Amino acid sequence: MPEHDSFEHDVIVIGAGGAGLRAAIEASAQGVSVGLICKSLLGKAHTVMAEGGMAAAIANVDERDNWKVHFSDTMRGGQYVNNWKMAELHAKEAPDRVRELEAWGAVFDRTPDGKILQRNFGGHKYPRLAHVGDRTGLEMIRTLQDHGIHQGIEVHMEVTVVALLKDGDRVAGALAYEREKGRFRVFKAKAVVLATGGVGRAFKISSNSWEYTGDGHSLAYHAGAELQDMEFVQFHPTGMVFPPSVRGILVTEGVRGEGGILKNNRGERFMFDDIPDLYKDQTADNPEEGWRYTQGDKSARRPPELLTRDHVARCIVREIREGRGSPNGGVFLDIAWIKEKRGDAEAHIKKKLPSMYHQFKQLADIDITKEPMEVGPTTHYMMGGIRVDAETQMSTIPGLFAAGECAVGLHGANRLGGNSLSDLLVFGKRAGEFAAKFAAENGGVTIDNAQVDDETKKALAPFEASRTENPYEIQADLQEMMQDKVGIVRKEEEMLEAVAEIGELWKRTANAKAPGNVEYNPGWHTALDLENLLTVSEAIARSAIERRESRGAQFREDYPEKKPELAKFNVVVKKAEDGSMEVSRATIPEIAPELSEIIKEMG
Amino acid sequence: MSSNNGNKIKARLTDPPETVRVRVKRRERPDAPQYVETFEIPYRRNLNVISVLMEIRKNPVKADGTETTPPVWDMNCLEQVCGICTMVINGRVRQSCSALIDDILLEAGGNEVVLEPMTKFPNVRDLKVDRSPMFDHLKKVHAWVELDGYHDLGPGPHTPQETQQERYAYSRCMTCGCCLEACPQYHDDNYIGPQAIAQVRLFNMHPTGKMNRDERLDAMMDDDGIANCGNSQNCVQVCPMNIPLTRAIYETNREVTVHGLFGWLRK
Repeated sequence: MPEHDSFEHDVIVIGAGGAGLRAAIEASAQGVSVGLICKSLLGKAHTVMAEGGMAAAIANVDERDNWKVHFSDTMRGGQYVNNWKMAELHAKEAPDRVRELEAWGAVFDRTPDGKILQRNFGGHKYPRLAHVGDRTGLEMIRTLQDHGIHQGIEVHMEVTVVALLKDGDRVAGALAYEREKGRFRVFKAKAVVLATGGVGRAFKISSNSWEYTGDGHSLAYHAGAELQDMEFVQFHPTGMVFPPSVRGILVTEGVRGEGGILKNNRGERFMFDDIPDLYKDQTADNPEEGWRYTQGDKSARRPPELLTRDHVARCIVREIREGRGSPNGGVFLDIAWIKEKRGDAEAHIKKKLPSMYHQFKQLADIDITKEPMEVGPTTHYMMGGIRVDAETQMSTIPGLFAAGECAVGLHGANRLGGNSLSDLLVFGKRAGEFAAKFAAENGGVTIDNAQVDDETKKALAPFEASRTENPYEIQADLQEMMQDKVGIVRKEEEMLEAVAEIGELWKRTANAKAPGNVEYNPGWHTALDLENLLTVSEAIARSAIERRESRGAQFREDYPEKKPELAKFNVVVKKAEDGSMEVSRATIPEIAPELSEIIKEMG
Repeated sequence: MSSNNGNKIKARLTDPPETVRVRVKRRERPDAPQYVETFEIPYRRNLNVISVLMEIRKNPVKADGTETTPPVWDMNCLEQVCGICTMVINGRVRQSCSALIDDILLEAGGNEVVLEPMTKFPNVRDLKVDRSPMFDHLKKVHAWVELDGYHDLGPGPHTPQETQQERYAYSRCMTCGCCLEACPQYHDDNYIGPQAIAQVRLFNMHPTGKMNRDERLDAMMDDDGIANCGNSQNCVQVCPMNIPLTRAIYETNREVTVHGLFGWLRK
């Protein structure tokens, strides 16, 4: 058995994106010793990719805004299966978190009188997103990183956690290895905060960074915590599909807002073919009217390209499945066509969509002022996650906390744009605060050496000489399968096949081989990531089967309607005694009367 | 996605080669010698350096047909906003996610792409380097606002958009390391470099950050301080975020001069 390096902190935070950094800063400010563990380098987490902004009812642009409106918007967006207490806390505390970030040095765009500017976003009644250009995430990460570096937080960079350690029922730390030398580290801690983000890399096409392999979800699950709402995976309708290395990178809704249209390989504008009855009155029935809407004509109705994200994504999938897709498996998104309408089209596109212009130019060598883009739906966000207490963010395991995308509750069945960055700050802070409190109020823990040995052996198993499978190939097969069978349009029989195939992939993973030695070995890292990816994939498939309706991000072709009786519970998965995945339903507690009033009031 | 990185719109490769030869500088561990391995993959339109590396990783066979281990590099966002995939490509430091093979071949002619790790940071393995010195720089120059956050912060000061724009220019830094790699003065702890100087400028403009201005300027006057800038202006040429690094150096230098003078008068 290899030797371990040992570390001891009051609190360890796993993950250094927005939520992890905020939690570490908070815990450290409470005076406890904090270790921050990240798989990659500090400041490179997925949060840097966030563009739009952070939602907070600071009412700088529209004075009618307040926390009640924000709360009710969040609940409506989540189709009322949200944790209403979290939605309340989030709406109330987001303004303070934004102001605090500004005080720590974040730069925000300004209103004419010098206040933080706020922009409109889907599902938010008033302009609510504090932002800086289209790179709010980088600003947030830079600010938190700069603020955190001097606080005495011990940062363990390029360290991957492979298991949570337990002392009886309570969490006692984590077992990890550092990627450079491959040495194992035992972290002893009185409290652990998981802030590991999402699961996008379980799917073939994803807008998520390469780190998003569901680590926190999986660590918590295998330690005995409950996961909830795993069926709710948000797909954004337009991601890049080519070249392969950029597949999934987001193409902003702004392209369609500026008049971009979707076409299939026959040149048909297919979005006119299927407009839901609910939206018929608000949607243009001819291209001319749609064009006028995008140019600001208030009497015109919106073009069908601007229907809700889930619907547009499903229409694109239909075209691709029925053989009308583009050469690289997407559809065409054309903004260049507006030259028929405006003489200044080229300059206009560059001015209105500068980052899209450069994104396609730099990454795909496509000039969007001249040619159409190829786009397809892309896995964007995981609403589901570790079940936590709304106030403290503690999971069902004492001492284990979770915040941000790997936790569950705020977003319900569908997240509103802008609510993620504010989620990271509000609940990152809370998790840090209560983890520090837990560490201060509870005695020490004991590391179970047998568990350490056992988990270390498991982590080294990919080096066994008898193994033969290439882990990259297993990952590619899983991604392909999840995309096809548990993707945007779901059917019971396909998902049952998916569960069976996940079983096969587990067997292949038990044979996944890491070539070479433990020193910075990406093949080994991938072999270990696979266990996390398979765990979350199975949770997604099983939860999606259990919810036999279409709600928010989940669309079931076999159950296309929403069922009122299914709004009363969340789907929960937990590891059973025999190691199998157990699916159950947790009744949503009755909403507090005053909050219920607010929802009614806001319509 | 950042702004344009000074990348001009180039003509497309009209007569593409059948294959791309990729020469990767490798190293097994920090104290092992470097060596070069050559791979050959079929040319396709729209390849970029990361997609080429991913193809090699899936099937790590060299151009001469012998097997090897997959090359190691860092990547994360794949849209040029995290800066982690920075490497030296055909002699030029840049992010590999936004380096298109067509552009590289157009510049270089032929079909060869040479990938090397940055040289100003400790080389961990293959194309991967240890970038932690950049965080040490930030600590040294006090690149944060001294605030515990435990009082009512209120709505915050009104700031004109113009001031915001000026600060925004510097806040875009993604600590990729390009400016340090390109700087002829940045080596052997000789000079702290443009990355930290730009952050000094940023925090000295912040309404509360100004309070620690002297501390930052003191750091700028150390042996490795701003006086070591040789004015080659390489930094501003290679910055993928178009940060006005030379302006930061010029303005900070002016601040340092005044600060030094008054410091001397106080003595």
